[in-house]
Amino acid sequence: MTELIVRYLPLKRFRQRNRRKQALVMSAIAVVLLLILIGSGFFISADRLTVNFDVANSAPSLKYPFGTDWLGRNMFVRTIKGLALSFWVGLLAAFISVVIALILSLLLLLNKTMDTLVTGLIDLFLGLPHIIALILISFMFGGGLNGVIIAVALTHWPLLARLLRAEIMQIKNTEYITVSRNMGKSWTWIARHHVLPHLVPQLAIGFILMFPHAILHEASITFLGFGLSSEQPAIGIILSEAMGYLSSGMWWLAVFPGLMLLLMVAVFDSLGRNLRKVLDPFKGQQS
Amino acid sequence: MKKLPFVFYLLFALLLISCVGNDKKDGKGKEKESLILAIGGEPDNGFDPTTGWGQYASPLFQSTLLKYDKDFNIENDAAIDYTISDDGLKWTVTLRDNIKFSDGNPLTAYDVVFTFETAKNSASVVDLTNLKEVKGIDSHTIQFTLYTRNSTFIHYLTSLGIVPEHAYDATYNENPLGSGPYQMVQWDKGQQLILTANPHYYGKKPFFKKLIFLFLSQDAAFAAAKAGQVDIASVTASLADEQVKGMKLVALKSVDNRGVVLPFMPEEGKSINGRPIGNAVTSDIAIRKAMNIGVDRQALVDGVLKGYGTPAYSIADHLPWWNSETEIENDGDIVKAKEILENAGWKENNDGIREKGGIKAQFTLHYPSNDHIRQSLSIAFVDMMIPLGIKIEVKGKNWNGIEKELHRSATLFGLGSHDPLELYNAFSSKVRGNGLNNPNYYANDVVDAYFEKALSATSQNEANEYWKQAQWDGETGFSNKGDAPWVWLVNIDHLFLMRENLVIGEQKVQPHEHSWPITDFIENWHWEKQNTNSN
Repeated sequence: MTELIVRYLPLKRFRQRNRRKQALVMSAIAVVLLLILIGSGFFISADRLTVNFDVANSAPSLKYPFGTDWLGRNMFVRTIKGLALSFWVGLLAAFISVVIALILSLLLLLNKTMDTLVTGLIDLFLGLPHIIALILISFMFGGGLNGVIIAVALTHWPLLARLLRAEIMQIKNTEYITVSRNMGKSWTWIARHHVLPHLVPQLAIGFILMFPHAILHEASITFLGFGLSSEQPAIGIILSEAMGYLSSGMWWLAVFPGLMLLLMVAVFDSLGRNLRKVLDPFKGQQS
Repeated sequence: MKKLPFVFYLLFALLLISCVGNDKKDGKGKEKESLILAIGGEPDNGFDPTTGWGQYASPLFQSTLLKYDKDFNIENDAAIDYTISDDGLKWTVTLRDNIKFSDGNPLTAYDVVFTFETAKNSASVVDLTNLKEVKGIDSHTIQFTLYTRNSTFIHYLTSLGIVPEHAYDATYNENPLGSGPYQMVQWDKGQQLILTANPHYYGKKPFFKKLIFLFLSQDAAFAAAKAGQVDIASVTASLADEQVKGMKLVALKSVDNRGVVLPFMPEEGKSINGRPIGNAVTSDIAIRKAMNIGVDRQALVDGVLKGYGTPAYSIADHLPWWNSETEIENDGDIVKAKEILENAGWKENNDGIREKGGIKAQFTLHYPSNDHIRQSLSIAFVDMMIPLGIKIEVKGKNWNGIEKELHRSATLFGLGSHDPLELYNAFSSKVRGNGLNNPNYYANDVVDAYFEKALSATSQNEANEYWKQAQWDGETGFSNKGDAPWVWLVNIDHLFLMRENLVIGEQKVQPHEHSWPITDFIENWHWEKQNTNSN
């Protein structure tokens, strides 16, 4: 490894400017983009979603950039509203996931049995096909907004938990932990003062990177009909409705909302990657 | 080796293409005696009439004792005569001579007795609880004895297909055998059903000797029609305006209605089986009347159904028991609707929502979330109510969820049957909260009295008069002129794409099923006679 770095380092330094600075700029752009997306969803009132049969099924135009649906509703407004809803669902679900992952991974400090239990649970969840677990849990909680949030939250923690566990294992075996332990500090104290600060970058990045997953999964179970109910302006709903109109050639119903969803996910992804470069010095130097 | 699958696919594709070509030629060509139909509606329970097959349409495999013609006059089918005793309790039916099942065995009165007894004992949608006894007097005469007079009993004579006692077993629903115009050849579940003409059929011999029903999704059926692979495909309104070469669009008028059922009882904290009853807003007749007048039904037909439908005024538009006085002529009249609300004391507040005595004019409307048309109708209906100052929240749920809210929230319902008993089931106070019957707890003593009279009438015409009066007798009734417990919205046309030269003749007003009812008069179907065609 060292050998590799030594060999390529001069070259790289020559080619690239400050990666962290670049990453910061990129992150700022991503945040601004997201703010525009979410903010506009917040400020456009639902009044603009009214039914207007006169303009039903119109193709994209200047007045209706994304066209209109079969009830004459403005697809642009619906898409933006849907993205805003997806954002909040993603935010809440990702946050709960991170909390679950953190708590479960910290349990391993307590004793060996807990650790085995948690690892088993992680394996269980990872072994189950993701979408099936999502559908099962969402269905169990009666579908709707609650069902989706709980389902997404309960299925996205294992990967992060495993990562955190590895990190904690590493920290646990360091000397200062042993010293701290010998000085009679309890595990909870150590967890709070010695371990948690180390985990913050991992948590932040894990949170951001979980976002696109959560949003995509929200959209997909809604698409499959197990998620949000069909009067809500969600991207999954819009896409599954569009399926019925593909054979009549109304492509704009699926294309634009799909692209916007992709855009939002891509922006989040790049935000996560760039933040990793900023917050995690080791990863930051990797290409 | 790698190339092999590709070559195989190529050959397979060629094979498919050649098949398509053949079908097209046959369809347009001389006198193809088989039909391929993609009308959907594969029954989950198979083709056993005693558990519900053929309730909405003719059972195809089996024949019924009586049948309706296209104007709902009673005609004979397997029976040649029926009489009702003066007390209305004994119905005597005489069978036609020499009826044979498609396996060649004769159909006798004992098969009819067996059919009705089996249906009575089956826990299914066929509700024969009013049937006390059925017995065969001789091999051609059957006597039914009822517990109470019921003029709608005739519906069972027109809808219940006769099953053979000798060939009835647990797998009958998959291997139906009867005396109807067609017999089963093969049923590949989820894929296709193949029928051939029954050589022993006593009625008019159908022109089409072979029928193939393909069970395709809406989109697949449309694609197949486009490719010329099917002769008839059912389509939704959203696809109706697509031009398909060689196909015509047939829109059958229906009583397949959709309407909003409004809780009739006030909110008093009552509940049944844990389901709360009553709604403080919709229990006010002014709200119900205003919505009935304020909604623009034609706009719904044009917008949601793309014009393929008719405004619905009642549960049974244009059926013989429909009271034509209940037709609403100038709906969509927002001014008048507002006036009704003002006069009743519903005043608009700052948010544009009306209030009366501290109660806001708002409630929830549920619809089954997998039903696209009901969703669209709900959203459009709610939008139309905003100018009136009535705020409705739309919620899509599955039926389990809807049933929990059925008695206290509005629901977008659909009905439409050829049996007037449906009026009773929807509006009689005796069946309140009984499954999906009378879901809004509607009750009116006058209406109930008319129902009793209609049920105990001895002739269909007499019964129809009472059914009509129950809707509106000049003072009260269950229609929008009277208590207006529902806001009926639209009747949905049943749309089919079919070959240009296929003639299916006039049809009945279609019931609440967009599939089998089209086959009602299938023995009359034929290709258009072409002048150039010598035979």
